[in-house]
This record gives sequence, C-alpha cells and structure tokens, in this order.
Amino acid sequence: MSAQPRPTKGGLPLVQGIRDLWNSLVAWLDKTHILGKPLLWYVSGWRLAFIMLILAVIYPQEFDDSYVLAGCAVGIYVLLALGLNIVVGYAGLLDLGYVAFFIIGSYTYAAFSTGFLFKAANQPVPVPIISFWWLLPMGALFAGIAGVLLGAPTLRLRGDYLAIVTLGFGEIARIAVLNVPYFGAANGLNPNPAPQVTTPFGTLNFGNFADHSAFYYLTLALVVGMILLVSLLRNSSLGRAWIAMREDETAASTSGVNLVRAKLLAFATGAAIGGLGGILNAALVPSITPDEFFFNISITILVMIVLGGIGSIAGVVIGAILLKYFDIQLLGSLNDYIHGSPLVSDTSAPLHFLAGNDFNQDKFLIYGLVLLAMILLRPQGIIPDRRRQREIKAAASIEEASAVGVLALEEAGDTVAGMGASANATEYVGPGSDAQGRED
Amino acid sequence: MHVLAASSAGVGLFFQQIENGVTIGAIYALVSLGYTLVYGIIELINFAHGDVFMWSTIVTLTVAQLLHFDHVLGGFALVGALLLLLIIGIATSALLNVGIERVAYRPLRRAPRLIPLISAIGVSFILENVAQLWKGANSIAYPVFFPTDAITLGNVTIPFLDIFIFVLAVVLMVGLNVFITRTRLGRAMRATAQDPEAAALMGVNINRTISVTFLIGGALAGAAGVIYSMYSNSVIFNSGFELGLIAFTAAVLGGIGNVQGAVLGGFLIGIIESLATQYVPNGIAWSQGIAFAILILILIFRPSGLLGQQVPDKV
Repeated sequence: MSAQPRPTKGGLPLVQGIRDLWNSLVAWLDKTHILGKPLLWYVSGWRLAFIMLILAVIYPQEFDDSYVLAGCAVGIYVLLALGLNIVVGYAGLLDLGYVAFFIIGSYTYAAFSTGFLFKAANQPVPVPIISFWWLLPMGALFAGIAGVLLGAPTLRLRGDYLAIVTLGFGEIARIAVLNVPYFGAANGLNPNPAPQVTTPFGTLNFGNFADHSAFYYLTLALVVGMILLVSLLRNSSLGRAWIAMREDETAASTSGVNLVRAKLLAFATGAAIGGLGGILNAALVPSITPDEFFFNISITILVMIVLGGIGSIAGVVIGAILLKYFDIQLLGSLNDYIHGSPLVSDTSAPLHFLAGNDFNQDKFLIYGLVLLAMILLRPQGIIPDRRRQREIKAAASIEEASAVGVLALEEAGDTVAGMGASANATEYVGPGSDAQGRED
Repeated sequence: MHVLAASSAGVGLFFQQIENGVTIGAIYALVSLGYTLVYGIIELINFAHGDVFMWSTIVTLTVAQLLHFDHVLGGFALVGALLLLLIIGIATSALLNVGIERVAYRPLRRAPRLIPLISAIGVSFILENVAQLWKGANSIAYPVFFPTDAITLGNVTIPFLDIFIFVLAVVLMVGLNVFITRTRLGRAMRATAQDPEAAALMGVNINRTISVTFLIGGALAGAAGVIYSMYSNSVIFNSGFELGLIAFTAAVLGGIGNVQGAVLGGFLIGIIESLATQYVPNGIAWSQGIAFAILILILIFRPSGLLGQQVPDKV
C-alpha cells in the first residue's frame, strides 16, 4: 500500500478546539480530588445514576412550574430514547420510523381517555372510557403489537433497507391517522376532559394542570422503572442474544441465537416503551394532531442516542436530557439573547440580518450538525458503552493481526464504534477501499 | 350514446394520467439514477440525495427571480434561459454532492454500513434546514417563462413543457449510458462497483472514481431540479424528502445498482402514482403512502428489484 503519512487527527481548527476542550475537561475531572477521589470517579457508573436521581427528585422543588412541565417532556423523551436504544443500540436494527409507536400510544390515550373517536367533525363515535392506569399497559401493548407487525415482514432485510422501510412505516402511520376516518383527520383528537387520577405523588387532573409536579414524579418513576428493566434485559440471555446479533448475525445464529425471536422481541420491547411514551405525551398535552409526528421526531430521538452513546443507558438518558432541554429552554433563551444583542438589534450592525430570523425554527439544523459531528468525531457518544469500547479495541487488534496496515488500523479504531460488527468492519478495511491513501 | 361518450372521456382521462405519469416519471428517473450509481459503487443509501436535488430548485429559483424570468420567453431568450438555469442547477447539485461525499462519507468508508447512513441523515437535515433558513418555510411560486402551449391528441393534452422534460431526460440518460459504457472513467466506475480492491490493483484511482460518481449523480439531480420546478411551478425547502424517497423507491424497484433499472423504475413509479391519484379513492391524500407501500412490498417480495441480480450477502 502506498499509504501517505496520515495527518494528525482533526483537520479543522474548530474540531481540534472542541476536542482539546473535551480532553481538558476530562483531565480536570480526573485531576481534581474531593475527599480523596477524583471527580471523574464521582461521575461514572452507578454514582452518576445516583447523583442524577437526586437531582431529578429535588428538581420540582427548586424551579417553577414551567420548568417542571419541561421536565415532564424531557422525561417522555428519555423513555423514547431508552426504547429506541434497545432496537438500534442493542439489536443493531436502525429504526427510522420510531415515531409510529409514539403515534400509536398518543392516539390510544386520546381515544380511550375521552371515550370518543370522530368519524368526521361533530360526529363522535363512542368507545369505552378506560382509566389511565389501564391505558398505560394498553398503549404499550398496542405499540408492541405494531412493533411485531413491522418486524415480521422485514426480518430478512439488510440493515440499510430496514432503515428505509421503517422510515416508510413511520410516515404511513402519520398519513394513516391523517386520512383514516375516526382519528379526527388534521384536527387530531383532543384528550380532554379526562377523569382525575390519584397517584402516590398527588392527584392528576388531566388537561387542567395548575401544578405539574405529580405528573413529573409519575414520569420520573416510569423512567427509573424502565432504566432498571432495560438494564436487567441487557444482562439477560435475551440482551446477550441481541448484542451477539448486532455484532454478527451469522455467528450469532450458528451459536444458537434464534434470530427471528430476538429481532421480534427487540422491535416489540422498543415499540412498547415508545407506546408508553406516547400515552404520557397525550396525557400531558391538550391535543394530538398528525402534524406533530413528522419523521423529524424519529430522527430527533436517534440524535439523542447517538449524542449520548449508542447502546449505553447512561448515555442515551443524558443525550435525551441534553437535547430536549436544549429544545425547550436553551434554544428560546439563545434566540432572545441573539435578538437582544446590540450586534444584531442595531439596524447598522454587521449581524443585523439575523434579526428577522427565528432561531427556534432552526433546531433541526442544529440536530443535523450534532448528528454529523458526533458520527464523524466521536461515534461512541458522550458516555460510551463499555462493552462497545472493548469491541472497538478488539476490532482494532483483529485488524492488526490480519496485517492490513497501520493506516486502516487507526481508522477502524475511530469509526467502528457505532453499531455493527467487527467482522463487518474488517470487510471494509481492504486496501481496495482506500488504496490511494487519504487525501484530506 | 351517452355511455359511449363517457367511456371515451374515461379512456382520455386514463391516457392523460399516463402522460402525466411519464413526465413526472422522467424526473423521478433522473433522481433515482443518483441513488443507484452511488449505491452501486459504495453500497450507501445517499439519504441526502433528495436534498441535493432540492438545492438545485432553490438556487435556480433565485437566479430566475434575479434575472426576471417572469414572463413567457421565446426564441433565443428561452434557449438561453434554459441553458443558464440548467448549467447553474447542474453545477450546484454536482458540486454539493461531491462536497458531501468528501466531508461526510469518505472518512467513514470503512465503517459498518449503518454509520455512513446516519451521517447521511445528518447531512440531509442540515441541507434541508439551511434551505429553510434561507428561503423560509413556505412554498415559493416559480416564475413561468416556458411557453404554456400544448398539443392535443384526442382527449389527451401534451404541454410543450412535458415534451421538453421528456426529451431532456432521455438525452441525459443516453449520455450517461454512453459515458458509463464507452469512456475510461465509466469503465473505472464499473470496475470499482464490481470489485474495489481488484480495481485499485489495476490502477484505478478509487477516490477519484467515487467523486466522479457523486458528481454525475448530483448533476442528474440538478437537471431534475430545474425541470421539476418548471413543472410544479413551486419550490419548497422540504421537497427533497418526499421526492428523494420516491426516487429511491424507483431505484429499488428497478434493482438498485442497475442503471437501466433506475430509469424503468422511475417511469413505472411515475405512472403508478399518477394512476393511483386518479383511481384510488382519496388517492391524492395517500399518494406518499402509496410510494412507501410499493417500496415495502418490493423489499419484502423481490428485494433485488425488477432488473437486479439476486446477490447473496457476504458472510
């Protein structure tokens, strides 16, 4: 191979800057000792989970209700990210239509909490009214069934085709609730008024919240419950089957993993958690309309798990919190700050052209940039999954053994981190894939 | 007598829908060629390809507005306007596509297959939202400068614009075919698609060949963007998402990686969609769902497409 000497990592100065900043943050956490332990020790493993739980519990006491409401929305997205992580992170099936299960949960709640579907405007069709506590498992069940229905015909599809088919499924779900009678078409369904529900955290008076803290604690309890469930699942034989399947389907299958069962269960579990998120979502917002459920939602959840670390529970929780909090609170503040800055607000200022721009509309641009930057620069995410990191190292050493060359080796270390197989990676590491050496 | 008139009108309607389908199908075919070329060579679904197409529509819209192409032109003025818009549209999309490959796909070429796909989704989001930042969220009317006359054959109306679209698309497809089968670069592309390692050993510059593939795919999408905005008379920042998925469906229908297949798939999808909007109840509301349903059915029952070869997965 005529490999030229590879330039040092990170071509752009900005990229190098971010990398330096991150490295110095980690170094600082490692260097600063409190009570004889480095700070890094306190923010890793179960200690991080404990700190986050404490913060989450005291949060509503410290902030006013608009923040508590934001916390509820964040919690719902944490659930969605946990669910998608099972499908994408564990089973390695890229699902771009996860919003479908969110839709199913939301519409299930909206229909059965009011007891009405609408054949057309002002033509209500009565359905049984079901209590909130029964709706939670019901939404999960409906979404789970939909997950199996999606999974069954797509079992044989290769990864990238599967991604497009699931995307189609998400879009069809949205188009269906828009066009099938009974779902209220473009006006959607209005989940109010719903009966009050007593929870251990206080009374939930749906649709008329003066205080969101009861709902917040209910969401938090579900999130904590799901985190425990997902970590149990991960360490179960099913979880190990998923991970084996993600690494190498053929090898997993020959080692006795039932691929059909493992894939369907991954879809069903992920979907059920998405349905649960949908139920909570519909209980929280005053109305459910099809135009809230675009493809963008599926990608937003994907960005959350890529940002946090594909396959890592702590990672996806933090990714979801960061991104949703950015969406609800920071983006608005950033918008106000930019518009208030004299550099923008003065008519003669150089950045005045930004004054007419509503930055709240640009969140998907920012998500796209985050997604691209993470995939290119830190595919393992903020808090990488430990097993995955080991796999990255293992993949690198396999390639060393196969003497493909130092160039390919370094690259593999950088890029294999995402979902997928070491075997798959070696397939791409032939000299043919980059015989000319990198020119960038 | 009355029944006969109605049925002859019905036949006319049917052929009118076929005519519409062929026209939009020509545009789908041009875009789907970009998917199929790229997939053929690096096995990547270029998720951003639809947005590359969309950027041609918004850039040429801007040029058409700047140069006041807001009245029907004729003669040399029309030819000049068309040439200018085509050159600008093609250049925009071709360069954009090459740039995307360089920044977002090349560093990931050895990564597992799904990683560049996620990167492509990121690029798609960026392109779409930068366009929204620039042009706003609403659709913009595209100025009408092409003569609006039409030929009438029985009950079927064929606008001049449709004839122009069809002829241009066919010329570009024939040109592509000549390029792939007759030139050195085309041979390099075929060799790389078949076996990148062996091609590299034979002295093919893989990186350059892949760049050329993206350049050509982008150029075809750029031309499609110019004629699509003339055809639909409107431009919107998210047009690339839906059209891109329809074109991808066309590529899969024809057999992804197969150039003739992409053209066939494009025309077929155009005709199916056009007939479905006419004959399926509430077809317009479902038209996007129809494309997806076709895609899902092909992938389940014949993933290799109509003209594709059944290739087993490498273990």
